[in-house]
Amino acid sequence: MSPFPLNTKWLKLSSFKPKDNRAWLGVLPVVLVIAFSAVIPLMTVVNYSVQDILDFNTRYFVGLQWYQETLNDPRFIDAFVRQLGFSATVLVLEVPLGIAVAKGLMRAGRAIPLVLILLALPLLIPWNVVGTIWQIYARPDIGLLGVAVNAMGVSYNYTAEPLHAWLTLVAMDVWHWTSLVALLAFAGLTAIPQAYYQAAELDGANKWHTLRYIELPQLRGVLIIAVLLRLMDSFMIYTEPFVLTGGGPGNTTTFLSQYLATMAVGQFDLGPAAAFSVVYFLFILLFCWLFYVSVVRVDE
Amino acid sequence: MAQVTLDNLAFRYPGSADDAVRGLQLEIENGEAHALLGASGVGKTTLLNLLSGLLAPTSGRILMNGEDVSALPGNARGVAQVFQFPVLYESMSVAQNLAFPLRVRKFDKAATAERIAYVSEELGINELAHKTPRTLTLFEKQLVAVGKALMRPDISLVLLDEPLTAVEPKIKWRLRQTLRKAQEDLGVTMIYVTHDQTEALTFADRVSVLAAQGILQTASPKALYESPEHEFVGHFVGSPGMNFVPARVLQVDAAERIGFRPEWASMDTQGSLRGTVTRTRVLGARGGQPYGLVTVATEFGSVSVRAALQVPDASVEPGAQVSVRIRRYVAFSAQHKVAEVELV
Repeated sequence: MSPFPLNTKWLKLSSFKPKDNRAWLGVLPVVLVIAFSAVIPLMTVVNYSVQDILDFNTRYFVGLQWYQETLNDPRFIDAFVRQLGFSATVLVLEVPLGIAVAKGLMRAGRAIPLVLILLALPLLIPWNVVGTIWQIYARPDIGLLGVAVNAMGVSYNYTAEPLHAWLTLVAMDVWHWTSLVALLAFAGLTAIPQAYYQAAELDGANKWHTLRYIELPQLRGVLIIAVLLRLMDSFMIYTEPFVLTGGGPGNTTTFLSQYLATMAVGQFDLGPAAAFSVVYFLFILLFCWLFYVSVVRVDE
Repeated sequence: MAQVTLDNLAFRYPGSADDAVRGLQLEIENGEAHALLGASGVGKTTLLNLLSGLLAPTSGRILMNGEDVSALPGNARGVAQVFQFPVLYESMSVAQNLAFPLRVRKFDKAATAERIAYVSEELGINELAHKTPRTLTLFEKQLVAVGKALMRPDISLVLLDEPLTAVEPKIKWRLRQTLRKAQEDLGVTMIYVTHDQTEALTFADRVSVLAAQGILQTASPKALYESPEHEFVGHFVGSPGMNFVPARVLQVDAAERIGFRPEWASMDTQGSLRGTVTRTRVLGARGGQPYGLVTVATEFGSVSVRAALQVPDASVEPGAQVSVRIRRYVAFSAQHKVAEVELV
């Protein structure tokens, strides 16, 4: 038999097959939600960032001028460097501390549920309340911490001394967020089968080997999440320093988001603020991407 | 390498009213492949943890080469263990994994490399040296885990905790073969813990059958099959297990029950045990006659016979009235063996 009948059959089938493009309609709700919640607001900002807006009816297209100004603005650069320093500091402190707390928690036995609740408490407090708590706690005149430190003979005043303000901010962030790392690490540790520890012990591994070759590799996944979350969150920190130090003394604790808020809400410089926002957004994206390619993709 | 002795070993978990294991008495020769066979819940894991030093005995002693090691931690006893699933250091390469037990004991680098080459050759994993565990198959990973356990030249005892559980049935025999060969070549004392009789009987020189009341019998696989010391051993070892009927069926007075293996009986017309065939399964042919497994319902319960499926004047098919002729049996009193009898 010639192959023609087969071919025509195939032709017929494909040419009369209904076009399934209607399936795209099913995706429409998601597209709409994402458009209204993410794409359109972002595009509005992008739109602002290339215009000079004087009032409702008067605006001029300025191209990349705001971007140039933002990237050359010494106050932006200072805030950016401060931001990097802050994020790096809290990550370096919170991740090892969180792992240490989680390891201690593993040995807490029956107290584990109680300790878990205590650990979760800082995470449940609204951010501006955290700022307020520390603002009062650290006050050198009436705060428990401030008075105690001064009573020990160390002159401490976070409202006047930039270094003190920094230390207080870092301490507050560590207090607020170490729990998150600890909870994630604890979840990771409980998932490690006991056999790994037994095997390591029989191999003659010491505590450092166990941490380095069993726990850290097994915690890899949760630690990546923890670092990503803390990196993004600390890079966007706003409320707590705003309440605690208001960015001062001077500008020494003014981070990116606070500078941005001053520009957009305080001075109504919508164009530069929009350009700033886009640059800010891209930097966060860039850091997460760098982290991803350097850590996550390496072993795939 | 060590000779291992369990001396009246017992362990009770804190807060528990019963001993998890008790009265264990066992001698394992140096370089022996020993299997501990038992159903779940008879204390296999507890015994394993006692041997590896994870638990300390409540009473009794563990001796290695005559020396009491009961109070020593596992790594001081020179014990290595292979687990149900492969346990490897994920961030290290295969070679680094193998080297680890020697590295932490400050072995010379050249000696370590030589040992890695030797063990890898033995297990056929030379090709894997530079791979990371995550790129290996389960089978390869478990081989590497076995390799890691065999690395220390001064190892006294290697414990295997159902090491084939995670491995595909098809390659189970390959791993068992490799394991057995390595055990023989290296002369390591191995204890293989399993609930799978096929694994125990094909791996070990001697097998101990463990039950809640202790070790019921320690013997070679053949002896375990042919002359079980305890009814449970007869029942647990073999597939199907031993058939048991009251001793009076054969007019035996000195015992309570007799047990016979499916091969020790044949289908007959004048046998001593009458019943109805409920099922037949052809297993092959023998002497030109179909041969298979016959299940016969008797007044003492169901009995399995592995024999020719044809008898003169009678058909062996479901529903047929037949009788079973017993040629060899083991007699038991109070569950313990009292005699082995060949009938002609």
